[in-house]
Amino acid sequence: MHTRYLWIPLLIVTIAIPLGFYYVDWSKSGEGAGLYSRDWLPQAIFAYWNPDDFYESVKSVKGEFSGEQCVDCHQGVTPGIVNDWRKSRHSKPVNDQAVVYCSDCHGNNHDDLHLPTPGVCAACHAVQHEQFVDEKRYGFPSHSLAMERALDAKHFVDKPKAEVTACLQCHSVASKCDSCHSRHRFSAAEARRPEACITCHSGPPHPDDETYFHSKHGQLYLQEGKNWDWSKPLKKGNYPVPTCAYCHMDNGKHQVADKSIWGFGIKQVNPMSSGNEVKRNQWIKLCSDCHDPDWASGQLKQLDAERKQSWQKLYQAESILKGLRSDDMLSPSAAQRPPYPGDVPGDFMQRERIGFFEGQASAFYNVSPIERDYFEMWYFNNLKSYKGAAHGDVSFVNEGQVAMDSSLEKITQNAERLRQLAEAGKAIQDTSRKGKTDKGDNILQEIWLRGEYTEYNRDHN
Amino acid sequence: MVNPAGIRLLLYCFAVIGINSQSIAADNLMPAAGVIENKQCLQCHEKTENKLVNSWRNSVHAKSEPVVDCVACHGHEHESVMVSVRQDQICRECHGGAKSPVVHSYASSKHGVLMQIEGDQQDWMQPLQLANYRTPGCSYCHMHAGEHDVSTSVRQDLMADSELEAVQDKVQSVCQDCHSPRYVARLLENGEAMLEIARKKIREADRLIEQAAGEFSEQALMPARQQMIKMRQHLLNVHLGVGHQSPDYQWWHGQPALDGDLIRIKGVISALRQAGFPAD
Repeated sequence: MHTRYLWIPLLIVTIAIPLGFYYVDWSKSGEGAGLYSRDWLPQAIFAYWNPDDFYESVKSVKGEFSGEQCVDCHQGVTPGIVNDWRKSRHSKPVNDQAVVYCSDCHGNNHDDLHLPTPGVCAACHAVQHEQFVDEKRYGFPSHSLAMERALDAKHFVDKPKAEVTACLQCHSVASKCDSCHSRHRFSAAEARRPEACITCHSGPPHPDDETYFHSKHGQLYLQEGKNWDWSKPLKKGNYPVPTCAYCHMDNGKHQVADKSIWGFGIKQVNPMSSGNEVKRNQWIKLCSDCHDPDWASGQLKQLDAERKQSWQKLYQAESILKGLRSDDMLSPSAAQRPPYPGDVPGDFMQRERIGFFEGQASAFYNVSPIERDYFEMWYFNNLKSYKGAAHGDVSFVNEGQVAMDSSLEKITQNAERLRQLAEAGKAIQDTSRKGKTDKGDNILQEIWLRGEYTEYNRDHN
Repeated sequence: MVNPAGIRLLLYCFAVIGINSQSIAADNLMPAAGVIENKQCLQCHEKTENKLVNSWRNSVHAKSEPVVDCVACHGHEHESVMVSVRQDQICRECHGGAKSPVVHSYASSKHGVLMQIEGDQQDWMQPLQLANYRTPGCSYCHMHAGEHDVSTSVRQDLMADSELEAVQDKVQSVCQDCHSPRYVARLLENGEAMLEIARKKIREADRLIEQAAGEFSEQALMPARQQMIKMRQHLLNVHLGVGHQSPDYQWWHGQPALDGDLIRIKGVISALRQAGFPAD
């Protein structure tokens, strides 16, 4: 009797789900890459940051060559590469292993060379590769998911591609082992040094370099690190102080995400969840390589307290902005400025995006000044304080908190000003001088929708 | 087929012969031990290394005030003139401390990172060419093969096409010591496109300020003009990010920072125009 309801799940299983898969496949099959691959064209340089999707062999030389032949010729063409390789373990293997030549990773056929991706290194370094890939199950932030994270970011899709090249340069950590083991030396010792991480882990949203080097751990490293034996594995007793890799890749495990409680620091999490309890215990165990477990636990609680304090401030600012949005007082409004990346101009549902879950990460352009202030408070000041607390640099915690306080004050004042301005505008409208508000609209649109870059961005992504 | 390895070898032989013959010549004229002054350097080296001295004369170093002369970098003792002169520390003494963008953009690049880790194991007596260095320091790129006109490898913001082409040819040939020619060419081409985008942002802001300049007082425009000063620094950061291959300077200290400047300048102009409007 109830069998007639069976058609609903049946329809979902036979049509909707396959259609969904087909749609994702279709959307990924454009000339770009990722979920929005049909919306953009790659720059030629992307071949080097994302070889899986974009690399094509150079066609300047024809023929097949042995490893020795590659070395002979490239000693003249690109001597730096060969010099590096000569000093690497690939050229001087131990325990009767075979020499790893250029051709073993790039191929023999010069007309059809490839740029080695982690899968190529996996042929010999299977354990490390397995760990690296396994990282994906912990979600973002992550090294192995970094490339898709960049490609699927709304602002990456929206902006001119030559502008966002630098994004891929760092996010290529998912596609190339040489982000940490620089080519063509591929040294494990190099990757154990904290400097190996700082080309990407620096700057306003992730001052991991500064906060670590300011900390007691970092200060000791700077003073004594040169004399330590970096060929030793990242294990208890091998190093006097921890480095980035000692904590985040303990015991040499090639993934950084399994212990991450607060993640990137851009959304609030419940640090006391059962999952995070497991991670917390992993941290305490790790810190106990040198410290008392109770002391380590106390440090983590301090980090939780710092996060709680920061989020209280961020939520205050967020509620001010959302209040302005509800009262239609953000200026320029979503309709008076270029659309949020990924939105369609003139879209019926267009609105300002505020907060992590609405896509705050792309809200650093095409927004009003007060929203930009919030973006900086959230992405720069907040993360400054977070990284200071996580890495043991009190000065950055203080600076971050002070910066958040002054951002909050500025946002409060500007919100007040926007409200006054809106009231004044409303008074004009009430005395039925409609033409004048339209003129006000035009003034804003002229400023915010026009301009050399703004128009270029609209036409080029 | 011309064998590039052969050409390199040939060039290398010439270079070795050249360097040796120079040192023989220099030995004959070797000044007495003790302190030497710049005048003495020039007296001899104009004869022995005329090309080198001339390229220095063309450089921004020779034209700056106070002048950055031979002894400024090489020191006053002839026996030790080459000991530390190729090291980054010499350049840093004038080009800012660790936090200055020009130094920091290099230090945070992969080249700079390798220099921090391995620089003390490097043999700094090697000539600045043929990938004699694991990673390039300031001098390897900007004084490549002993070039004493540093500006030949610096991409200034506004350059004539011919000047730009000369710099790009130079950079292409230097980077090629270690990197594939196609990789270098693509980086250069992308860097140019990225810089042009940064300049578009500056021009957009500039135009808004100039349009407003006729209508509002300088005092009212002051916040926009001050923001423009920051904007120029952020453009310079993109330059440094491209030149030194620091993703952080191309991006966080560059493009999104320029976006923020543009938003704030538009905010100032919007407020002025809106305030002016009800009084019409």
